[in-house]
Amino acid sequence: MSLSTHDLSVGYHDKAIVKQVNLSIPDGKFIALLGPNGCGKSTLLKAIARILTPLSGQVHWHGENLHKIPSNQLAKSLALLPQTQPIPEGIKVFDLIAYGRSPYTGFWGRLNTEDKRIIDRVMQETEVTELADQLVSELSGGQRQRVWLAMTLAQDTPYLLLDEPTTYMDLSHQVELMHLLRKLNQQGKTIITVLHDINQAARYCDHLIVMKEGEIITQGSPDSVLTRDMLKTVFSLNAQIHQDPIAKTPMCVVE
Amino acid sequence: MLRFKHLSYLRQCVVLLLVLLLFAWLSLFTWSIVPVSASQALMAIMAPDDAIIAHHIVLDIRLPRVLIAGLVGACLAVAGAIMQSLTRNPLASPSVLGVNAGAALGMAAVSTVTPWLGFFGISTAAILGGAIAWGIVMLLGTAWRGGNEHGRLVLAGVAVSALCAALMKAMIILHEDQASAVLTWLAGSVAGASWHQWQHFWPIASLSLLGAFLMSPTLNLLNLGDDNARSLGAKLGWTRVICSLLVLVLVGSALSIAGAIAFIGLLVPHMSKALVGQDNRKILPLTAIMGAALVVMADTLSRAIIYPTETPVGAIIALIGAPFFIYMVRTRTA
Repeated sequence: MSLSTHDLSVGYHDKAIVKQVNLSIPDGKFIALLGPNGCGKSTLLKAIARILTPLSGQVHWHGENLHKIPSNQLAKSLALLPQTQPIPEGIKVFDLIAYGRSPYTGFWGRLNTEDKRIIDRVMQETEVTELADQLVSELSGGQRQRVWLAMTLAQDTPYLLLDEPTTYMDLSHQVELMHLLRKLNQQGKTIITVLHDINQAARYCDHLIVMKEGEIITQGSPDSVLTRDMLKTVFSLNAQIHQDPIAKTPMCVVE
Repeated sequence: MLRFKHLSYLRQCVVLLLVLLLFAWLSLFTWSIVPVSASQALMAIMAPDDAIIAHHIVLDIRLPRVLIAGLVGACLAVAGAIMQSLTRNPLASPSVLGVNAGAALGMAAVSTVTPWLGFFGISTAAILGGAIAWGIVMLLGTAWRGGNEHGRLVLAGVAVSALCAALMKAMIILHEDQASAVLTWLAGSVAGASWHQWQHFWPIASLSLLGAFLMSPTLNLLNLGDDNARSLGAKLGWTRVICSLLVLVLVGSALSIAGAIAFIGLLVPHMSKALVGQDNRKILPLTAIMGAALVVMADTLSRAIIYPTETPVGAIIALIGAPFFIYMVRTRTA
């Protein structure tokens, strides 16, 4: 458990959105953060990525307070793909992805052969190689999302935090993304992703964390978490749980 | 222009440096009441001769003027480029976000109320005035929370500038004896440049420019948005404080010497971005060279237009800058 939270409260203007959360992130898992809109899952993710400073409590990284660790060192361990991204003007795809290497490149940001090799690799993984010389601002929403993901992957961190990465993507790219994330997870990365699609989460992730009103309701394997009761209490939905005929994972069908 | 865009970055810099040197050389000998020849301008620097009046004119009057004009241009242009990255707002520049007006108010306050403070008092007042005005603009425009509300920031800049201008006018009316000095300053001019001014100006200005170049990789990360910049390990708080201070020193020291010169900080960064894209490591040096060249050229023209009377260089720059800016806005949106 390299990453854990202790009585963590996070919010804006003293109003706690995440309330006193104690959570240990299991290493090496592909984790989905689920919950209704406004339940605090993005806020929790941002606090773990030290984008937001806690109102109280702490996030620990290998037993140390996250906010006491030099930011450049942490940038080699944790990478975040935020939910909303700016549309940068006049930046080419390759140059944007190259910024993902900035924790490694030293002060002036000059790329060495190792950096270039990693950039090439993540561009292939996210299938943006042929877009390299295009301007980010001229891409479609789905292409742009893959480029930002490539930048995050170029950071080459053991922990990957993603906030609704499938937004803006068509279904086939969503499936490809989930396959890519599972592959990265099997290669040893711990992945924590906020997802809206419960069935997608149950199918690809091996650990689900469910939140409601700033608190963690339940967590565990998809089989143990995805129950009729949970859907009723957390999402106010009447749903049946069936087995996915292909992946043999649980699947909810709304009544 | 198109061909120039395809030159390598280093060649672009060299070409622009040569253009700057050419402008500077022209500025040394043209439109002088005592005739100075082109070769005398060079000889005055390389082998000065006390007996030749032309050499005195070049060395004592023209050379400090060219140097100050160039450095003022570089400072204002680089300050504009930093502000555009810092606020993620393409319209950000010292004049739009109220730094100019605040600095002007500070200067007017010091030169009308406490004229005995001298040069240092004036530049400190300019920096402080600019800092206060910019701080208010940033707070009103909620700029620290990200660059989503471009309009709001610019509106705040316009409002604060108008308020500063009104207060300054009141001060001038109340202290009429100092009015002409303030008015000259407001028009923007380097006609009074002296070696004395240069000695105070160049160490601060070149240190701040160097600091700005060193901050350029971090400024690049700011273009990616706060969350991404933090995730990539940038220290946002420190970056903003340091960059804001650099902007204030660059603008304050330039304005306290040359007066209210607008447009440079808005225009020149966009010219260099059109050439090299959004990489601040390339933008800032190019912006410095182009800003210097533009102000030196405008200063030369300012002597030519109604020779032998001098037109304020600020007015010339506005005359060149306004149409060029409109052209740029139109081609960008088209």
